[in-house]
This record gives sequence, C-alpha cells and structure tokens, in this order.
Amino acid sequence: MSQANVSNSTVIAAHEQILYFPKGGKPSLIPNEWLIWSGSQDEGSMPDIKHGESKVLVPFSWWTHHHEADIQSKAKAGQIGVWFATDDDILKYADLIEQGKTVWPLVAAHFPIFRDGRSFSTAALLRDRLGWDKEIRMIGDVLIDQLLQGARVGFDSFVLRHDQDLDVALKQFNLFTVTTQNSWRGKRSLLATS
Amino acid sequence: MYKYDYIDQTLVNERVIQFKDQVDRRINGTLPEEEFRPLRLQNGLYHQRHAYMLRVAIPYGLLSSDQLRTLAHIADKYDRGYGHFTTRQNIQFNWIKLEESPAILADLAKVQMHAIQTSGNCIRNITSDAFAGVAADEYIDPRPVCELLRQWSTLHPEFAHLPRKFKFAINGAKEDRTVLLCHDVGIELKKNAQGELIADIYAGGGMGRTPILGSLIKAGLPWQLLPSYLTALLRVYNRFGRRDNLYKARIKILVKALGPEEFARQVEGEWLHIQNSDDNFTQTEWNRVAKHFTKPAYKTLTALTNEQVLALASDADKTAFARWLERNVKPHQVPGYASVILSLKPHGTVAPGDATTAQMNAIADLADHYSFGELRVTHEQNLVLADVEQEKLYALWQEAKKQKVALPNVGLLTDIIACPGGDFCSLANAKSLPIAKAIQERFDDLDYLFDLGDISLNISGCINSCGHHHVGNIGVLGVDKDGEEWYQITLGGEQGNHASIGKVIGPSFYADEIPDVITNIINTYVAHRNDDEAFIEAYRRIGVTPFKEAAYKNAKKKEKVEVAGDAS
Repeated sequence: MSQANVSNSTVIAAHEQILYFPKGGKPSLIPNEWLIWSGSQDEGSMPDIKHGESKVLVPFSWWTHHHEADIQSKAKAGQIGVWFATDDDILKYADLIEQGKTVWPLVAAHFPIFRDGRSFSTAALLRDRLGWDKEIRMIGDVLIDQLLQGARVGFDSFVLRHDQDLDVALKQFNLFTVTTQNSWRGKRSLLATS
Repeated sequence: MYKYDYIDQTLVNERVIQFKDQVDRRINGTLPEEEFRPLRLQNGLYHQRHAYMLRVAIPYGLLSSDQLRTLAHIADKYDRGYGHFTTRQNIQFNWIKLEESPAILADLAKVQMHAIQTSGNCIRNITSDAFAGVAADEYIDPRPVCELLRQWSTLHPEFAHLPRKFKFAINGAKEDRTVLLCHDVGIELKKNAQGELIADIYAGGGMGRTPILGSLIKAGLPWQLLPSYLTALLRVYNRFGRRDNLYKARIKILVKALGPEEFARQVEGEWLHIQNSDDNFTQTEWNRVAKHFTKPAYKTLTALTNEQVLALASDADKTAFARWLERNVKPHQVPGYASVILSLKPHGTVAPGDATTAQMNAIADLADHYSFGELRVTHEQNLVLADVEQEKLYALWQEAKKQKVALPNVGLLTDIIACPGGDFCSLANAKSLPIAKAIQERFDDLDYLFDLGDISLNISGCINSCGHHHVGNIGVLGVDKDGEEWYQITLGGEQGNHASIGKVIGPSFYADEIPDVITNIINTYVAHRNDDEAFIEAYRRIGVTPFKEAAYKNAKKKEKVEVAGDAS
C-alpha cells in the first residue's frame, strides 16, 4: 500500500546534511540522500516515498518479510538500504546480511535514545564479524558527544539529531590524538607507533 | 607505581579539553542537563543535595605522596577542606562548582590523575588488593594486570553506554581483600602448572537491590587474552542486558536470568571469533607496565619479633602501641618490613573515610618519610603505608597519633564502612553518617572493642549499597517509609574468601533505636560465644534467632515497627 504523503511519524527525523567520515579520510558535511523510513506503517509494502525518487533506509525486520517485485526493483537500482534496530540480533541473520552486501549501498544502526549503547556493538559486529565494508550510518538520537565513540566502533556517516550544531560536531573527531585500545579505525597508539 | 608516558598523559590532557568544552556547552545552554548528565557522570561529576560532587579515580587504590598533596590542594582550593575516601578506593569532594570542575581536572592531570569513568554506565575504576605487591599471602602481584586493564577500558568506545555501571575487581592473594565476588567481573589471578599467569573470571556478582555472588564462568584464561575475553563478555552484556528497568540492568540480572552456564556459553561463542585478535595484550605491553611495579629499594633487614618491635616504645606507650600493632600493622613479604593501616575512623567521626587537607598533607609527608612516597586506599576507607621498616613503627605511630589516624580499630566494630548517605547523596533514602557516629560513640571503649574482636559493621543510606551493608557481619540499610528514615538490619554478611550476603532480620528501626539494637546484638554474641569464636562464626553456629529476639526485645518498639510494617 502506497502513500503519497509521508507524515513525520513515518520517517526518522534527520538533518539535511550528514557528517561523513570515511576510514582514513577527513570528516565533512555532505547532502543527505537517504530517507529513513521508521517502518511504523507495516501494511504490506513500503510507502511510496516521493514516488520512488528517493533512496530509503528501511527497517531490517521489515526487509526480512518483504520481497515484493517493486521492492526488488528499487533495491536493484541501489535505492534501498536497511537499518538495524537495537533489538535486532544481527548475528542470527548473518546469511541475509551476506546477501545484502550485493544489494544495499549502506546500512544504518539506530539509537532510540543517546544513552542506549547497543548499536555500538552492532556496528562493531558488522565490521569485525560480518565483514561489512561499505558505509554504516548512525541514526536516531545521535548527539555531538557520541560521534567519537561511533566513529571508532565502525560508523562512518552520522545523521545528527536536528538540533545539533554541525560545526561543533565536525570538531569532535580531532579531540584525541591517542587511544589505549584498538578500534575499527586503527590500533592503539602503543602498537601503532612502535 | 605506574608512571604515565606520553600516551597516557596526552589522553588525560585531551580529556580535560573535551570535558571543558562539554561544561562550556552546558553553561551556555546548548547542552541540556538531561544530555549532559551521562557526560558529567563519566567524568565523576554528580549533582548532589547541596552542590556537585567530584569523584576522582585512584586506580586500584594506589597513590603517590604528590598525588595526595594535590588532592589536599583541591580540597582546600575548591572544596571545604576535606575529602572522602570511598569503598571503591577513590576519593570524592562534596562541594564542587560545575564551572570549576575543568580546572580541577587540569590540576589532577598534572599529577597523572583524572576522574574518567568514576561514574556512569561504563567500566568503572578498577579496584584491587590494597596490599598488592607487599602482602605476605600474595601469589601474584595484580598491579600490572590492573594497569593494563585500566588502559584498555579507558574511553573504550563500544562500552561507553552499557545498560548500567560495570565494576571490575582483581585479586592475586590467598585472602580476598577485594570483595571479588560482589563485582560485575571478578578476576582472580594465579599461576598454572607451567608457571604462566592465568586468570579465573567470575561474573554477575553485585550488591544493590539484588545482592548476588559472582559465578565462575571461565577458568585458566591466559592473561594476554583478557582484552578479547572481556570484550566478548561485555559485548554479550551490552547487547542483551536489560535496559527497561534501572534495577534490573546490572549484569548480575542477565547472568541470573540466563544461568551462569548459558551466559558463559554465549560469551565463549562470541570469544571464539575474536580470541586471536590483536586486541590481546603483548609481552611488550606487559613490560612497559610491569617495570613500574618492581620492588622499591628495600634494605636488607632482619625481621623483628613482636616483642622486639614493642620494645621500641616507652613504658607509658606500650599498651596503646601494642594494640595498634595488633590491629593496624600487617605482615609484609620482605623481612624487617610491615604494612600500616592509618585509620580514618576516629570515634565520633564526621564521616568514615574523611580526611582533612591538613591530614592529607601530613600523611603525604609520612608516606615520604616511612614508605617510599606511596600510599594505598583500602575499600574499608582507610589508608595504607605499605612499606614501613619495623624499626620505625613506633616513630610512625607517634606521628600518626598527632594526625588522629592511629586509632587501633582496624577490623573492629567501629571500623565502620559507610556511604555519605542522606547528608550529601541525593539517591539516599536515609542518613548513614549520624548512625555511624552514634555507634562509634556507643562503643567508645577500646578494651571492649578488642574483647569483641573481628566484626564488620557496614552502613548504606540506600539500596544502591555503596556502604557494602550486604557483606557486613552486621549491615545497616537506610530505607524510606512514607517520608521517614528507617533502618533495616542484616546479619551474617561477610567479605573475603567466605563471602556471603547478610540476611534481613525483620522490620526496620528508627535511627535512635539503632545503638540499642546493635548493643543487644553484640550482647547476644558475647553471651553465646565460645573461647576464640568470632562474631560471624558464632552467628553461623547458633543461627539468627537469638540475635533477632535480642534485637526486638523491646516490646513497645516492636509494636511500633509492626504497625508501620515493612515494605522493602
């Protein structure tokens, strides 16, 4: 069932720009091309967001149940990615995520509230265990002071909450020049310099 | 003790800058309190009844004299001239201004200290044996592992927002002085048959609302693999620990719900994939850290007998000095040396574990003169000079007396562990400090205290159990009933190798009843004990009933509490 107008309740709010910080690169602001459908209208099919023009991140749990032709064709066009909720046990879906590597241009992991750290482990597992090497986007209640942690566990793009100051956000990644444990971005300083 | 290198110092300096920016954003209003709260907590800053409280990390309780002087300076400049040593070997200051907190952290950074992860839902400051490296019953010096894990856990990105706080304790001695089994993770270090350092991992212990002793989930883990194993363990907890209920969010609830075997199996399953990762410690890292925990320049001395030490004292001082030797001086690994506990529990104290600026400065001097410039904080909230020549014990005792830190009550009824309670803490249901004071004043008779022998009495102002009441032989817990402060008594708790959780004896009491209740409990012990039987042994032999009857023997008051009922 398609809907011409997408109300606010069906998408997860986002800045018009995202913070992009590729591994080995520099952080910058780039336009946000991806809508994040919240999946709140689970009635058989995805809403017809802007009549198919937009790229959309759909809930992973929704993706696992929907293989209709229109969704497949949109996916083939590289316009569908998935986002993981905090209670998606991604390790149970390793095969599906393996297949997704050829379908989804990016995936995302959601923070329902900034102090819920489950998605840090989701990103770490996607990188370390499941071998996801494309973009992982941090979405939801994403605040300035979570960016460093997110960047280190495996996120490389960040959809900040609408009220967050992007200029302040950009400065976060330079705060620390040393680390005392390994991360997705590099080894701990002692091993990196020795 | 460990000395920062470029990496450690840079990290702490950069953390000060980061926190200053967060405080600035809080003050200019762009960072709301709700969102600032976890950030300030992860830097040890609580908002309490009267002001902010800053908890400074003392990693595994080890402190240099210069660091103690800096703490004294902070107490003087930014607080009201005292600090409070905590049950997790840290220190906290109760009268801090938010806008001054970055400057305090900058002062701390100059002496290689910080407040990182002393609160918040993250891996907290790691605690260990206050006698690490010197205890006569030690088989492994735990400090290198403590320091390696301190570094590994500092600003760990994946575990910055766990379901709840996460506490490590590490022990390497025969006698457990760390309350190992009451920690989220307890690490017991030992050597295997080949002489290699290995660790047994206990998980799921804790106090609080649901006190549980930890379960062994991994035996014989090579020390190098601690980071990967702990990553697996914390990852399971981070993903599956409950987040819907604050009181069910600790790892103990997850371990209990799954069962220790199933929890261990899940950790093992996760670990299989990462056990060979380069997260693991290398020998180079061990060497970098371990070189700081070599033995100080001990003299070659002959061990003195107790009589020889006693002979150092003047006749007038002999009785008092002998008592101090008996309670506050502990055996050492090296002949001719001893470890000394300075009691921060003078009778009628304002708060167990408090030290004034003047005391801190004086104790720092004592550390320089008598103990290679180092100190330790015990989880019982006292201070230790670990390396004192036996020949100098009498001189040290005389100086400690001047600072009022020589009361020979270590391990006795008045060596009370207590949290700051309702006088300071906004979480507390009831005050704990006046209770501690009243009990100390009631039992202000050293002859009697010595006759009673080893008894632990621990007081918490609320069920968060910062005062470790669950593991006190006698536990006192403040509870709130209809806006009034009540106190619940538990008996039979114990720390150490026979750790156990105390049991509630019945309905709660009013504050002014507590000294009588304690007296009645103690009298029951005295009436029933066999020759050298300690309180806890007598309790285990005769059971709770006689103690309970004695505690409630005042019928009038019993009536009163039954009317009020007991909801907790």
